[in-house]
Formats: sequence, structure tokens, C-alpha cells
Amino acid sequence: MRAYIAFTKKEWVESIRTYRLFILLAVFFVLGIMNPLTAKLTPTLLANFAPEGMVVEIPTPTALDSWIQFHKNVPQMGLFVLVIMFSGAMTGEYNKGTFVNMVTKGLKRRTIIFAKFTMSVLLWTMSLLLCFGLSSYYTAYYWNLDGFTQILQSVICVWLFGILLLSMLLFFGAVVRNGYACMMFTGGMVVIFFLLNMLPSLQKYNPVYLVGSCQSLITGELVMSDFTASIIISIVFVVLSIVGSVLCFDRKKL
Amino acid sequence: MNILEVEEVSKTFGNQKILDGVNFHVPEHSVFGFLGQNGAGKTTTMKIVLGLLQADHGTVRVNDQKVTYGQTKTNRYIGYLPDVPEYYGYMKPKEYLRLCGEITGVSKKEADKRIEELLHLVGLEKANKKIAGFSRGMKQRLGIAQALFNEPKLLICDEPTSALDPIGRKEILDILYQVKDKTTVVFSTHILSDVERICDTIAVLNKGKIQMQGELSQIKEKNKREGVEVEFASKDAKERFLEEMNQRQIVYKQSEENPLLVEVRGKDQEQLAKRTLHILAEKEIIPVRFFCMEPTLEDLFMEVVKG
Repeated sequence: MRAYIAFTKKEWVESIRTYRLFILLAVFFVLGIMNPLTAKLTPTLLANFAPEGMVVEIPTPTALDSWIQFHKNVPQMGLFVLVIMFSGAMTGEYNKGTFVNMVTKGLKRRTIIFAKFTMSVLLWTMSLLLCFGLSSYYTAYYWNLDGFTQILQSVICVWLFGILLLSMLLFFGAVVRNGYACMMFTGGMVVIFFLLNMLPSLQKYNPVYLVGSCQSLITGELVMSDFTASIIISIVFVVLSIVGSVLCFDRKKL
Repeated sequence: MNILEVEEVSKTFGNQKILDGVNFHVPEHSVFGFLGQNGAGKTTTMKIVLGLLQADHGTVRVNDQKVTYGQTKTNRYIGYLPDVPEYYGYMKPKEYLRLCGEITGVSKKEADKRIEELLHLVGLEKANKKIAGFSRGMKQRLGIAQALFNEPKLLICDEPTSALDPIGRKEILDILYQVKDKTTVVFSTHILSDVERICDTIAVLNKGKIQMQGELSQIKEKNKREGVEVEFASKDAKERFLEEMNQRQIVYKQSEENPLLVEVRGKDQEQLAKRTLHILAEKEIIPVRFFCMEPTLEDLFMEVVKG
């Protein structure tokens, strides 16, 4: 346990000193402010750019538009940055050889996996909370926060999908030696999920359902229980990824 | 007692057999030199001992416990200094050693004490900057500090001096020599003078096998070559010397590499030297060099590697 805390602390220090934390927070800070702001300003922008004489009918933006922006930007931009920032978490250490001193001191390999997963989930949670907090604040400022419970539920779906990505990054990080390959495989998995999503009968079980359809929670078209299947599948994937990481990493040549 | 026992260890990479039944043991409290050419398999052997690589066959025992791949239980007896030690560059040496302390489960108070001692031992007590800015020599010294952190029974150093300048090398060797009383040191190298300086036992790895092992002094004694070498200033001087040698029917051998060098071989080195000197004096020949042969580690090494 002490080793786990020590290595998690090391990951924390690393995140600060290699600017990983700073970059993540900066990106999600910008996203957090942008979501309500784009929703608010889109009509004005469109009106300004529309050719003269043309009458554009634009509905007045609502709080819903702000959350639509949130669910467009965070899964795209946000998760993309998240994957880039963590794609080298394992592979960077193989290539530099920094695991050798740790492991030869008796640090259990699985402790490394658990510590890395803990820290990546923590940073992701912090980033998402910051983004969500800012978006909520400005949405409340411009409009209102009606239906906050549903909004929160939709964000939890995004959060879980982020954790799924992080666990897959960790798994591929334990399998391959190259950061780009690790990113590619994780991306490949997401592509597979999206392809499977074309089969309507499987949609409900697909992890991408979490990010693809969670706005419907806010509009009221869906309720949380509609997501049960995809949540369970996602959690199963996370657990499998972590167990797989431990098993593969134990056999890894360092 | 033997702190490390390697028995019949084999390892193949692809279709290249790197280790082919390697056997050796390291007695406690010795400085063990593990010799071999570049690519002979020294690092591979060490990684197998550390459980970082899996051997195809054979067993390794550290402190009488079997080493298993991936599971690193025996590593608590071992301190390891890799050939190019790598650290988290954003940390300062004290922070890094503190991390080592937390991982090995040493109490904070004890850790602080050891950090102080070790940094002093390796001469880094004043280096309070990030490791990323360290020179190779400094990294190597920090490597020894981290390897010694858990007070290991066995310190394994993989070519600790190969990449260093002469001063850096001497410093590292001095440190290794200092810690000899507290632990057993195994170090691999291809620098023979380093071995002669600090090792008491050696093993030579060549073509996947241990070709020679034992106490350095005994190996030298066993392979003693008796005789003298004389190098002349000119061909003329040599001819005159050999003429006299032929007359007295003393066996000699002319060197193939150096036309001015003559080796005189025989059992009794003292007697041989006296007779040779006598001839030189009688003929009034002043040699450039007169040398009583003794086996150097280099000769032994060359013999093993070539043979």
C-alpha cells in the first residue's frame, strides 16, 4: 500500500512538472467557457456573416444549446487531448528505462498499473469537473440550470467513457512499446465501437452510446435506465483492460 | 556461502543462442568481475538474475532463493545499477532517493538518514538540481546510491565504468571498493584494468559459456608463464645476442609481431633471467627493454576469447 501511494505521488509530481496537469486543465478550462459562449454567440455571429439582404431565421439560443455544445466539444476535443496526454504514460517509461530501477527495488509491477490508472482517472475527473463547473456557471448566468440532475447524469456518462479510454490506453501501453501505436490501437477500438454502432440492435450495449446519445437525457428523450446496458458493458471493459494490463505487464520485457 | 548461483542458464534470441549453459557462483563479500566482450551476453545474464528476462533453461538462486521471471521477490536482496541508469529527470536526487525509500518500505526517518549517508558516499550531497541536468558520471554515482538504498546483500553493476572518463572511472571504482565490506559486488565489464584493480573473483563469458572462473590470484598463479622478454635497439644487437644463445643452446622464440623482440622461455625464471643478463653484459648489449614475464589478465582474456 505504501508503495502504491508513493508511486501515485510520483505520478502526481510528474503530471505537474511535465505540465500534463497544466495542459489538461487549460484545455478543459477553455472548453468550459467556450460551450455556453458559443451557444450564446452563434446567432450573432451568423447574423454578422450572413450575406446582406438575406434574412436568416435563427432561433434564440437556450440552455440546451449550451449543453449540446458541451457534449460536442468534450467528447471530441477533450477526449482527444486526454488520449494524447496519456498515450505515453507507459511507453515513455519503457523507452527511457525508468521502470528498471523501480521494479528491481521490489516494486510490484501491478502497483505501477494501479497507480498510473488512479492518477489518470484523477486528472480526468479534475479536468471534467473544471469544465463542467465553468459551463454550468455560465449557462446559469446566461440562462438557467433547469433539469440539473439530467445534465449531471449525461456528464457522468461522458466521465465513464473517458475512464474507458484511459483503461484501454493503459492496456495497450502494457502491450506495445510505442506511444503512437498505443494511441492508434485505442483509436482503433473507438472506431470499432462506432462501426458496431451502425447496427441498431447493438446500439444500447455499445460504450459509444454513452457519449453519442447522452444529450437525449437532457432533452428528456431518454432516461438513465436506458444507459444501464452500455454502462455495464463499459465497466466490464474497464475491468478487463486493467486485468489485461496487469497480466501483460507482468510478462513484459523491461 | 554463495550469494548468487547461476546454473545451466541458456537464452536464445531469435535463432541466436546468447547463453548456452552458463554456470557460475559468487561467494559472499567478494568483488566479482564478470568479463566478456561486447555482446557476449553479460547484460542478458544480469537481467535474468534480476528477473527482467526469462531464461529458456536453468536456474538462478539469489541468497538461496530461486529467481522467477516477472515476480521480483529475490530483488529485495539485490541492488542494481543498469549500464545506463535512467531516472525521472524532473526530480532532484533527494526526491528520487526518497521515492526509492517509500517503495522499499523504509521508514521516513531511516530513509532520511540513508539518503544523507549515500549522497555523501557518492559525493552528490551538494548536487541539488534536477537529475535531467546531470552528467553521465553524476548519473552513474546516483545509480550506485539508489542501488545501495535498500542495503542489498548483492550489488549488481552492469558496466558501471565503461562510459566514463578516467577520473569518473576511478571514483566509481573507489566507491565500489568501499562498499565491499557491507555487500557483495558483481560487476560486468570489458575493461580489464578495472577488474585487476578491485576484483578478487572473476568469470569470463565467451560464446555463451563461462570459459574461466575462480579467484583472480589463483587463476594468475595457475596460468603463470615463466620466462623473460628482451627487446633490442637494433637488428645487429639482436643477431649478436642470438648467436651466443645458439652456442649455449638456450631455447628462445622470436616474436612474430616485433622483429626486435626475443622471448626466452624456461621453468626457473630467476635462473633464466640471470643467464640472459649475463650474456647481455658479456656481449655489451644494452637492451631497450628487459622484462620478466608474468601473466596479465589481458593475456588470459585473449587466450580464452581467441581459443
